[in-house]
Amino acid sequence: MEAILDWSLLSSMFRVVAPLLLAALGGALCARVGIFNVALEGMMLTGAFSAILGNYWFGNVWLALLFACLCVAAVSLLFGYLSIHLQANAIVVGVAINFLATGLTAFCLFAVFNVKGQFYDKSMTGLPKWNIPLIQDIPVVGQIISGHTPLVYAAFLLVGVLQYVLFKTVLGFRLNAVGENPAAAKSLGLRVRRYQYGAVIASGVLCGLAGAQLSLGQVTLFAENMTAGRGFIALVATMLGQSNPLGVMGSSMLFGLMDALSNRLQGFSVPTHFTMMLPYVMTIIVMLFFKDKSYLRQSGRIAGK
Amino acid sequence: MLLQMKGITKRYGSLTANDAINFTLAEGEVHALIGENGAGKSTLMRILYGEEQPTEGHVFIAGQEHAFSSPSDAIRAGIGMVHQHFMLFPSFTVAENIVIGREPRAGMSFDRKAAAEQVKALSEKYGMPVDPWEKVADCPVGIQQRIEILKVLNQGAKIIIMDEPSGALTPLEVEWLLKAIKRLAKQGISFILISHKLHEVMDSSDRITVLRDGRVTGTVTAEETDAVKLSQLMVGRELVLTEKKRLEPGKNILEVRDVTLSGSKGGKPVLDRIGFTVRAGEIVGIAGVSGNGQSELLQVISGLRNTDTGQVLLDGQDVTGKTPGTFRDAGLAHIPEDRYMWGSAKEETVTDNAIMGHLRSFSRNGLLRKGQIKETVAQWIDAYKVKTGSLDTRGKHLSGGNMQKLIVAREMAHGTPFVIAAEPTRGVDIGAMETIHDALLKRREENGAILLVSSELTEILKLSDRILVLFEGRIAGELSAEEATEERISILMAGGTGVETN
Amino acid sequence: MKRINWTASAQALLNPLIAVLLGLLVGAIAIWAVGGSVITTYVEMWNGAFGSFYFTTSTLTRATPIILAALGVSLAFRAGFFNLGAEGQMIFGALAAAIAALYVPGPGIVKIISAMIAGMLAGGLWSALAGWLDTRFRMNLLITTLLLNYIAVLFAGYMVSFPLKEKAGSGGAQTAMIDNSAWLPKLFSGMTLHAGFIIAALATILLALFFRYTTKGYEIRMLGSNPLFAAFGGVRRGKLMLLSMMLSGALAGLAGTFEVLGTQYRYIDNMLSAPGYAWSAIMATLLASSNPIGAAFAAVLLAALQTGGMGVERNTEVPLEISSVIQASLILFVSARITISLIKRKKARAVDGSHS
Repeated sequence: MEAILDWSLLSSMFRVVAPLLLAALGGALCARVGIFNVALEGMMLTGAFSAILGNYWFGNVWLALLFACLCVAAVSLLFGYLSIHLQANAIVVGVAINFLATGLTAFCLFAVFNVKGQFYDKSMTGLPKWNIPLIQDIPVVGQIISGHTPLVYAAFLLVGVLQYVLFKTVLGFRLNAVGENPAAAKSLGLRVRRYQYGAVIASGVLCGLAGAQLSLGQVTLFAENMTAGRGFIALVATMLGQSNPLGVMGSSMLFGLMDALSNRLQGFSVPTHFTMMLPYVMTIIVMLFFKDKSYLRQSGRIAGK
Repeated sequence: MLLQMKGITKRYGSLTANDAINFTLAEGEVHALIGENGAGKSTLMRILYGEEQPTEGHVFIAGQEHAFSSPSDAIRAGIGMVHQHFMLFPSFTVAENIVIGREPRAGMSFDRKAAAEQVKALSEKYGMPVDPWEKVADCPVGIQQRIEILKVLNQGAKIIIMDEPSGALTPLEVEWLLKAIKRLAKQGISFILISHKLHEVMDSSDRITVLRDGRVTGTVTAEETDAVKLSQLMVGRELVLTEKKRLEPGKNILEVRDVTLSGSKGGKPVLDRIGFTVRAGEIVGIAGVSGNGQSELLQVISGLRNTDTGQVLLDGQDVTGKTPGTFRDAGLAHIPEDRYMWGSAKEETVTDNAIMGHLRSFSRNGLLRKGQIKETVAQWIDAYKVKTGSLDTRGKHLSGGNMQKLIVAREMAHGTPFVIAAEPTRGVDIGAMETIHDALLKRREENGAILLVSSELTEILKLSDRILVLFEGRIAGELSAEEATEERISILMAGGTGVETN
Repeated sequence: MKRINWTASAQALLNPLIAVLLGLLVGAIAIWAVGGSVITTYVEMWNGAFGSFYFTTSTLTRATPIILAALGVSLAFRAGFFNLGAEGQMIFGALAAAIAALYVPGPGIVKIISAMIAGMLAGGLWSALAGWLDTRFRMNLLITTLLLNYIAVLFAGYMVSFPLKEKAGSGGAQTAMIDNSAWLPKLFSGMTLHAGFIIAALATILLALFFRYTTKGYEIRMLGSNPLFAAFGGVRRGKLMLLSMMLSGALAGLAGTFEVLGTQYRYIDNMLSAPGYAWSAIMATLLASSNPIGAAFAAVLLAALQTGGMGVERNTEVPLEISSVIQASLILFVSARITISLIKRKKARAVDGSHS
C-alpha cells in the first residue's frame, strides 16, 4: 500500500484539482447571483479545445490561454443571454450548451485538424512548470507544492482573491445581494442583470482556464469529451462548498484526491473500470453527507412548457 | 406642492389601469391613497417610483418635471418606497440592509463598521431604534419595517411611499408606526400611504384620495370625511349585509388536541398545545396577525405537515400524521391561503385545476371520466361566474379573483363535512367576495363545519360563530360571535388577555 | 363542444419549426466555414436519411431506441424530475437483456420476453435508485443521474471485459452472440428495421393516452407542474417519484433491450454510448416539451440528422459531426424558445409591459 499513498500522490492531486477548482469557483460565482450553471462541463470542454487550437495557431501558450478564455467567455455570454435575458430555464440552457460544446469541438477538431477522436502534435509545448524558489528546496513540501503549472497556482490564488472580493468588498456584497433577493436588489436600483452577466462571464473565463489546464497542463492534446464529467463534479464541489471559495476549495481537493488516486490505482491489479469509477462513486457518497437545498428552487420547472 | 402628478394615464392593451389621475403632495404631508383591489393604486405608485412609465401624463417634483425610467431615477429625485412585501436581504445585517446601494468604503472594501455607525446616527436622528449588527432574519416584522423606512431615509428620500404598511403588523406595532409617520412628517418628510384600512387612514392622514376603476372619485381632508363616506367613494354603492341564521351546532367534526410543533433550532414552538373543535353547522374563525402559526396550523390539519405531539380527528377518524389524501378521504375540503403556491398549477388547464383533490369522484378504475368532468366544471364556472376563455385555458391566464372563485367552487362542490377556508377572499373584488361568503354561509346551513382563517377582521366578524385568536402559536383567547368586537380581537391579537379590558 | 384551438396548435408547431430552420442555418454556416457546398451537403443529408427505402428504414431503426428512451425522459420531466440518466439506464437494460437472452433456457419467445422484462427491470431499478436517493436523502437528482451514467458505463465495460466476455471471439469487449431464435423479427427483409419500432410507436401512443386519460397520468403532470399543488390535493410525491423514475428507467431499459435483441444481438461495450442515443433522447424530449408524440417525431428528426450526417460524410468532405452542431443549435433555440420570446417582446413593446 505504501506505493499507492506516497507524497507524489499529493503532488498529482494539486495538478488534477486545478481544473476542478477553477470550474467550481466559476460555478460558485454563478450560484452567488442565483444562477445554477449546469454548463460548466461544456464550457470546460470548449476551453480545452480552444486552448489547443490557440496553441496550434499562435505557437504560444499564453496567447493560447487568452484565446481559450475569450472563446469560453463567448459561450458563457450565450448562456447568459438565453438564461438571463430571455429568461429560459437555466438548466435546460445549460444542458443545451453542453451538447453544443460536444458537437462543436468534435466538428472543429475535424474541420481544423482533419482528425477524429483526438489531436496531438509533438511540436506543441504545454504550460510550463514553475518551481517556487525557497519552497522547492524544502523536502517533501517542495516536492508537493512546487513544480506545477501557473494555472495550479492561479487556482489557489483565486480562492483567496474571491474570498476577499465576495465577503469584504462592496462589489462582492452587492453580488451576494443580487443572488439573495433579486427583486429587492432591483428595487434599490442595482443593475441585477449586469451582476449576473458579470458572474456568468467570469465563470466562463474560469472554465476556459480549467479547460486549458486539462489540455495544456496535464497533457498536451485534445480528445473528444476529455472533460469526462469533471464539469459536473465541479458543480457538486460548488454545492458542497456552499458556494464559498474556501469551502469549494476543500471539496474540490477531496475530489481531486480521488481523481489522483484513481489514476494511481490503474497501475495496480484492480481493473481500471473500478478505479475509474472512484471519483464518481466518491462524489455520490459525499453528497449523502452534505445536503444542498438551493437547487430545489431552480429545478422546479423543467417540463419545458 | 412638493409633488404633482398631472393627468396620469396608464393603459395595458385594452385595460386602463389609471385614467387621467391628478395627485399632489405637500412637504410634511401624509396623503393616503385608498381604493379597492384593482382600483389602480399600485399602478399609480409604480409609475411614481419609476417601475412603470405612464402612457400619458406628467410628474413634477418641486416644480420640475421628471420622467423616471427606473427606480434609481426616482430614488435620485428623493422618492422612496416601502413595499408591502419587504425588500430585505434576510441573511444580511440590519446595517447592511440599510446602506446597500450607498455603502461606505475603505478603498475597495465595504467598511461595515462605518456602516453601523452611520445607521446608528440615522436611527437616533429619526427616533427609530435598531441594532445595526443584528441579522434581519432574526428581527420581528415591526423592526423589519423600521429597517425599510431607515433604508429609504438613508437614500435621501423626501417622499416615502408606504404600500399597505400595516398588513403584517400587530395592533401595537401599527400604533407605533402611525406615530412614527406623524413624527417624521413633522421633520419634513412627506408620506403617501396606500391602504384599505379606513380607520388607520382616518387616524394618520392629512388628506385622502380615493380611487375607483382607475379614476379619482374624490380627494378630501381627514376632518371633512368619515369612514362611511370613504367606503361609499371606494365601492360606489351601499354594501348589503348578509344575515346569518341562528343554528344549533351539531357533533364535533374537527377535533384538534394538544397539537405542538417545535420551531427551528430549538426556538419557541410554532404551535403551542393547540386544542379546539369545529362542530357541524358552525363557522369557527381564526384571527391573528399573520405569522403567528396560522399557516402551520392549516398545514397540520390538512395533512401537509406532521405534528410533533397531539392528535387531529376528522369526523371521528384519527388522521394524525396521515397524508393529505387520507384527510381528504375523511371529509376535508381546503381553500388554501395561497392560491398560486398551494391551490393551483398555473401552467395547467382550468379543468386540470378543477379536479385536484377530488379525483375519486371524477374517475373510475384509474381512468378520468372526461365527459363528466367537463360537464361539472362548466356548471361551476357558470355558478361562480368564473371568467375564462374556455375549459382549456391555462391557469395563468385567469385573473387572481377568477382563479380564487374556481378554487372555491372546486372545494365547495363535493359537500364534504369539513371545509378549511383560508383567506378565502384575498385579492378578489366585492362581487366575488359576496359570492364566496354566500357559499360559505350556505354550507354552514347545510350542516357543514367550517374553519375560517383570515387576516381581515371584518370577514372574521361577519361570518364566524366563534372566534379563536392565535398569538405566537397559542390560542390567546376564544370569543363568541356576540361578545366579539374588533377592539377585543385586536387586543388578543397583540398578546393581551382580553379579559382585563372588561 | 370539441373546438381545436388552431392558433395555439399553429404556435406549438411554429416554434420547433423555426428552431429547425435556425438549426439548419447554423449548420449551413458551419458547412460554409469548412469550405463545403451547403446545397450539396444538405441534399446528401436528405439522401442519407430518407433518400431510399433502405435509408428511411435505417433512420427509423436508429430512431427506435431514441424514441423509447425519449418517452422515458418525457415521463420523468413531466413529473418534474430532471432524469439525465437515460444512458446508464439503457446500458443496464441492454446488459440485463443480453444476460437473460443468453442464459434463460427455452424457446425464442421466452428468451425475448424474459430479456424484455430483465431489461426494463434493470433500467427501472437503476433509475429508481436515483429517485430513492432524492426522496430519502434529498440528493440532487440531476447530478446523481449524471454520475450514475459514468458508473453504469464503467460497470458494463467491466462485465463485458471480464466475466461475460465472449470466450472464442475476436477479443473485443462484448458478450457472446445470443441465439438467433431470440432475435427480434425484421419488418422488411434485407432492411435493418425490426419489430422494436412497432413497440416504440405503440408505447408512444400509450404514454400519450396515459397522460391524458388516467388518474396517475394526471397526478404525474400536476406533480411536475406544481409539486405543492399536487401535495395539497393528496398526491404522494415520494411514491409517485419512485413510480415515475421506475417507469422512466424501464422505458430506457427497453430501448437498450431492443438494441441487443434487434440490432447487435449481443452487448458490446460502448454500443449505446458511442451513438449517443440517450442524449439524443433527452434532446428529443426538450425539443417536444416533454410531449410523448412530439418527442417521438423529434426522435425521428434527430435520427434522420444523424443518418443524414453519415451520408454527408460518405459523399462529401464535410464531417459527420455537422449533425451534432445542427442538433445542438436546434436544442439551444428551442430551449430559449426564441420565437416565443421574440413575439412576446414585440407585444410587450406595443402595450408596454405586462401587468401582473
